[in-house]
Amino acid sequence: MFFLHNLERRVTLHPSYFGRNMHDLVTTKLLKDVEGTCAGDYFIIAIMDTFDVSEGRILPGSGLAEFTVGYRAVVWRPFKGEVVDAIAFSVNPHGFFAQAGPLRLFVSSHLMPDEIQYDANATPPQFTNNADMVIEPGTHVRVKIIGLRTEVGEMWAIGSINGDFLGCLQA
Amino acid sequence: MSKTIRLGTRPPYPITVVKLFKKSGDAIKSQEPLMQYSFKWTKEVGDYVRKETWKEEQTTIVTWDSPADGDLKQWLIKEGEVISRDGPCMVIKEACSHEIQFQGLCAICGKDMTEVNWAAETRDTERAPISMVHDQTNLTVSTVQAQRTENDLQQRLLESRKLSLVVDLDQTIIHACIDPTVGEWQKDPDNPNHDSVKDVKSFQLDDGGPRGVARGCWYYIKMRPGLEQFLRRVSELYELHVYTMGTRAYAQSVARIVDPDQKLFGNRVISRDENGNMFSKSLQRLFPVSTNMVVIIDDRADVWPRNRPNLIKVSPYDFFKGIGDINSSFLPRRQDLLPSAAADGASVNGNGVTPKANTAIAAVAEKSSALDELASIAGADDPVLDDPVLAQRQVEEQERTLEKQIIDRPLQLLQEQLDKEDEEADKATTQSEDGSDTPPSSPPHHRHQVLRDDDTELKYLEQHLTRLHKAYYDEYDRKRALHRASSNVDLSSVPDVGRVLEGLKSKAMRGTKVVLTGIVPMGVDIAHMDIGQQLVGFGAAIVPKIRRDVSHLVVNSQRPRTKKVQQAARVPTIRIVNQDWLAACFSQWRIVEEGPYLFDVHPDDMPVEGDAATISDANETDDAGNKLPSTPVRERRILRIKAPVPRLKLVGANGETKELEDDSDSDDEDDGDIEDVEDEDVLPDDINDGQLSPIDGLKTFNWGQVDDELQEFLASGSDDDDDDDDDEDDADTMDTDADETTPSRKRKFEGEESEDTGDGTDAETTQDENTVPSNSSSSRDGTSVAKKLRRTISVADQGWADTLSRGR
Repeated sequence: MFFLHNLERRVTLHPSYFGRNMHDLVTTKLLKDVEGTCAGDYFIIAIMDTFDVSEGRILPGSGLAEFTVGYRAVVWRPFKGEVVDAIAFSVNPHGFFAQAGPLRLFVSSHLMPDEIQYDANATPPQFTNNADMVIEPGTHVRVKIIGLRTEVGEMWAIGSINGDFLGCLQA
Repeated sequence: MSKTIRLGTRPPYPITVVKLFKKSGDAIKSQEPLMQYSFKWTKEVGDYVRKETWKEEQTTIVTWDSPADGDLKQWLIKEGEVISRDGPCMVIKEACSHEIQFQGLCAICGKDMTEVNWAAETRDTERAPISMVHDQTNLTVSTVQAQRTENDLQQRLLESRKLSLVVDLDQTIIHACIDPTVGEWQKDPDNPNHDSVKDVKSFQLDDGGPRGVARGCWYYIKMRPGLEQFLRRVSELYELHVYTMGTRAYAQSVARIVDPDQKLFGNRVISRDENGNMFSKSLQRLFPVSTNMVVIIDDRADVWPRNRPNLIKVSPYDFFKGIGDINSSFLPRRQDLLPSAAADGASVNGNGVTPKANTAIAAVAEKSSALDELASIAGADDPVLDDPVLAQRQVEEQERTLEKQIIDRPLQLLQEQLDKEDEEADKATTQSEDGSDTPPSSPPHHRHQVLRDDDTELKYLEQHLTRLHKAYYDEYDRKRALHRASSNVDLSSVPDVGRVLEGLKSKAMRGTKVVLTGIVPMGVDIAHMDIGQQLVGFGAAIVPKIRRDVSHLVVNSQRPRTKKVQQAARVPTIRIVNQDWLAACFSQWRIVEEGPYLFDVHPDDMPVEGDAATISDANETDDAGNKLPSTPVRERRILRIKAPVPRLKLVGANGETKELEDDSDSDDEDDGDIEDVEDEDVLPDDINDGQLSPIDGLKTFNWGQVDDELQEFLASGSDDDDDDDDDEDDADTMDTDADETTPSRKRKFEGEESEDTGDGTDAETTQDENTVPSNSSSSRDGTSVAKKLRRTISVADQGWADTLSRGR
């Protein structure tokens, strides 16, 4: 689910950048550092705007200036039970991998409808019900997230296509 | 699926079951109390101050918590029962057995497997320890699931009557290099190599490729001749997998070239990134349960330590001469090469590469030796797989070798070398029809080419694979008939392809008794060498000495005059062949017609009348060991008498002319080490007629001058030994252009001397300070030597190989 989230971050600036457009530089650096990262439970998708750039404080010892910046960002937090659209990128006998934006998903063969079977003789190998559903690398799939795990800077999920309206997307 | 749960090792046995909280059919949760038990223990009670204590038996009641989720099916214990040791206590129906896990998540129920469960003795992540997917390492499965998947695979293969074939890329079906010269030759239709390289494919790696100089470089891929048909036909009998030591990006790029529409390999590509081991490949990575239906083709046997029986060793494809395998810098240096492959490429095909260029090739190969050493050291003491430092270091090393290839352009150097030789040859033919200086059978007005496209290995390989497939399925059908299986697939009668392969191979050279000379280094047990293992695998017998029943003597044509040759020449039934015969046998799986490989024995080694009696008979034991037979000694004396022969020449089977050292002693030594061979090659070609040894030239040398220089050097260097830069020293030893370096060195010494005399104490302190850095620099010696060496090579572009060899 997407949220608009107020966040805060300390940004350090090298002394060579001290000058008139310091605040712009701080904002640029913030964008570079933060956008597209995984911060614990959620991904920071885009920064809307910054407010409240504090006055800089020189860090003793290094000479870097530290600013505390408040900003508003669009974040995406995947939830268990959430349905997302993803693109399959790798298929093997145990299931297939898919990518939903920054999130990597695995859908195992146990979490597919029974009629969808692995076909190793196809090129490339695919999951198919020998009718309208063919899942191979590049296929758009609609997946329900049933498990999530995060580590520092990374997040993985287990998906399922066992349910109504899940599975291949007819584009 | 029901599962039996044990009590575990934690309860203090013996215990008494007090109460069962749950009954059959109840749902149980992990870490929920399931039963109560009591146990007895002793405690010291009483007055500790007065030391009036005694032991008293205590009874404690505790609960036992469920290690797993699910439904309780049945208790295996009763209330009141005394349990003396760990055993099964209940049967449950597990909610999920977590058989497929992805990055710490159960891929079936979505639970986090890394959560610590204090009631269970093993972690949930251990339930799925096997990684068996080609392109991912973070997907793991349980043994049961692996078994199931593999059964599915075998069933599918049996239905379509196929086998699995694991194919190595580098030097097996393709040869890759990144020398930019190839690209230039492709664009230049006048270049003699243009025809050879025009169908070389190329690609760039955007990411995942090397960094630094080699970044964004072009990879040139030469497919082995006939590869397309080979793969197409073989893919009807086998399901193909790619298993390479290159990176993933590289593997995929090559797969795209070899198999553009992904019909052959599909997504069955595994690379170094997923292998999980820098030094060896393992079939168990892909087929964890059974390798009964898997065949490997690879040019290196030593990277498959666990799967030798399944391996068909292919002779390495060496199209870009001297390049080797660009992705194997990690691996220990290959030991299995027959010398012909590395240094004697010309021998069978005749007019290819002349001996001089061969030394150049050898030198190119030699340059990477420092790296090889590193790899072999790392490989020797059973490498720690997860050592990130080592891995990182090796990745860097590999990048360095790649850079070197781009900068040094070994192919260009080789071609220049050849061109020069051609010119010389032209001159020689026009000046006199002496013939002694011309490379044999060289058309004079045609530039020689370094790259030749004349490999025939795949033709034979296809035959072998077809035969193996047939033999395998014959065996399968036979077994199935015995089982009288009703269905068309019978997993229980699947034969082991390793056995079938061994059976086929062992017939190949049965009956031959082979003696090797000059091929295996001295002091190495041939049974442990790759060549020995191959010979035995093909059913040939290796005999240590010449006997009457020996059928073949394999001679290293680089070392043509050994004792064994002399002995064998006296027995007419022994065919004396060069090492290429062996290579041909290995590649064709039969006893190849000896004709083209017959070795011309040196006239002096030909039998003298009456000598034949000294050769031992077959029934004689071999323990004579080091004792030399008497005849060679006599022969040696004969040779001595006519010692000052002007330049011995040996005309090999290929017609190639070879110069011999006159000193027969060193030749007679024994089937000596390969290094010896190289030393012989290194001898300068321009020794004057009638000269016995290369150092004879020193007779006319001005020793006084040298003594003076030495004196001067010792005088000036006596007090600044320590602070003398090691690099400089190396440069002096390496550089043969003494005129260039000596003045500068002198200048340096003079300067330092004046400093030292200026202030004695100061000089001492500097000396002390400098000892440390000089030590550290000496530890970097290897790299600095290599650097110097490289510089020397790049500076002296003319006759650089000579410089190099003399420097060595």
